[in-house]
Amino acid sequence: MERIALVLAVVVAIFLVAPLAIIVPMSFSTAISFEFPPPGYWTGYYARYLSDRSWLDATANSFIIACGSMILTLIVAVPAAFGFVRYRFRGKGAINLVMMAPLIVPHVVTALGYYGFLSLAALTGTRAGMIIAHTVLSIPVAFLVVSAALKGFDRNLERAAMNAGAGPLRTFFAVTLPVLRPGILVGALFAFLQSFNEAVVAIFIAGRDAATLPKKMFESIRLESDPVIAVVSTLLTGAILIGVLVSLLFRQKPAAAGG
Amino acid sequence: MAEAYLRLRDVTKSYDGKTNAVDGIAIDIARGEFVTLLGPSGSGKTTTLMMIAGFETPTSGAIALDGDDLTARKPYHRNIGMVFQNYALFPHMTAADNVMFPLKMRRFPRHEIRARAERMLALVGLTRFADRYPNELSGGQQQRVALARGLVFEPDVLLLDEPLGALDKNLRQQMQVEIKRIHREVGITMIYVTHDQTEAMTMSDRIAVFHNGRIEQVGSPLEVYNRPASRFVGEFMGDSNFFSGRIDPARPGWVELDAIGPVRIAATDGSPPGGEVDLMIRPERLRLEVFGADDGVRNVFLMSIEDLINYGDSVLALGTACGQPLRARVLGSEATALCRGMSVRVSWAPGDAHILPRSSPLYPA
Repeated sequence: MERIALVLAVVVAIFLVAPLAIIVPMSFSTAISFEFPPPGYWTGYYARYLSDRSWLDATANSFIIACGSMILTLIVAVPAAFGFVRYRFRGKGAINLVMMAPLIVPHVVTALGYYGFLSLAALTGTRAGMIIAHTVLSIPVAFLVVSAALKGFDRNLERAAMNAGAGPLRTFFAVTLPVLRPGILVGALFAFLQSFNEAVVAIFIAGRDAATLPKKMFESIRLESDPVIAVVSTLLTGAILIGVLVSLLFRQKPAAAGG
Repeated sequence: MAEAYLRLRDVTKSYDGKTNAVDGIAIDIARGEFVTLLGPSGSGKTTTLMMIAGFETPTSGAIALDGDDLTARKPYHRNIGMVFQNYALFPHMTAADNVMFPLKMRRFPRHEIRARAERMLALVGLTRFADRYPNELSGGQQQRVALARGLVFEPDVLLLDEPLGALDKNLRQQMQVEIKRIHREVGITMIYVTHDQTEAMTMSDRIAVFHNGRIEQVGSPLEVYNRPASRFVGEFMGDSNFFSGRIDPARPGWVELDAIGPVRIAATDGSPPGGEVDLMIRPERLRLEVFGADDGVRNVFLMSIEDLINYGDSVLALGTACGQPLRARVLGSEATALCRGMSVRVSWAPGDAHILPRSSPLYPA
């Protein structure tokens, strides 16, 4: 039984890693298009990525839009989670459904809706428009993650803080927020990645000025199909790998364990 | 009793406007006293504690501390410490930071904060663990940190909400001794909530027994144990035998028990003359007759033993006398000859029984 599980695990791991095993060598390829195995190796496409204005703009846009929508998502999702978990009010079920709607509605439909809606507000092709659209898509997951953390939060901690002499505001910032931090960070990470990965809405509304990496990659593979796209993929994977390793390192400190 | 320090006057709390979770609680607690609020879950004892701490506002009634009306004061403006059932230590702070937190919030002078926290950690024996996080401490150690945090700012009263509920038996006894030691050394007024009657017996100066949001009886542990004001208190405070009977004013010193007949009782009992009564005898007051000569004063039952529960130090005999269920607790050394199906004579002195007005049993048969 254990052996079967091990074999399955290895197979799954191979399937997950296989694309990387192709993409990474291809980014160092000398071929003018996608070719595997590469005929030779150089770093020329890295140089091209770093000197190509449209790739760098797309990278910057991706980061700005992902950060923006991450922050906006937290601004909406964290208070919403507090409201939903701690209070009862009329229409709670209906509002909950509305919050979850972006998870259910297909992205293409949402994208089409945003195209019309943001055109009216003259926000198509702007980062602000992208941030708004991506925030809406991120809210359900961030809301769920923060709600779960909040449901597991022991309210006696807040009572203990007040008993110690802390008013509501100090209780929130000295106890509630730090204890919920892991949950909020996970929600933030989801929001960031959601925006960073999102292609459909980006293709519909980003236009030229607010083009993100996924949109640029999609265009590149249709129009140019040169290995720069493999370079971008490799860099992104590397960045994410570093991010995960850093967060794992933090985990090991008891301070971050959060009880 | 000494003059009231903490005074609860007709405190009532209703969450839904229909039923009262706490229903007209009135109690005076003296400075430095150790008072236990004892009762089953849902009896209102924790709600009462929450109102003293300020986390709940009474629907009506008043709470005053040393003459100051506290009723409407916010919890963070009261000078009352609290130890929570699940410790409620701040997981992102070390033991020392947890203990210093109340001092920082209450703006103690900076140089004093560290010194006080160190003194407090020493009092609970945790100096070596000051830099540990709560998840690196055992349950007992966490409880000590919680105690230190509750005491460090020298509150007027320390509230303890079932603080030992999560600990195993040996550790619980150890902490009971520890809490009593701290109570003696610090001299602070403590209000302790528990549903464990043994804990209440061993620790308290006085016990307030809660039932359905009301206080059924307030008294010293022995008073409450030996002279319960109601059948509920008697049954909740430990093992007991209850017999229903009737007092005939024409025969002082006697009570006519249903199905058993007349038995002698102490004439000093302040029982209602006439009317229906309950008679309570604690199982450990019953004595195997072989070990004592019948002096003609003791009441004697013929008990047929149906079951024996051996505790090692004592044996609980379950059986009947005249068809009435009877429980007798005998010293382990005296119970060696007992066995199931046997009939033995058990006796009790008139002063061992307690007479109280008839009421319905807590655990109906």
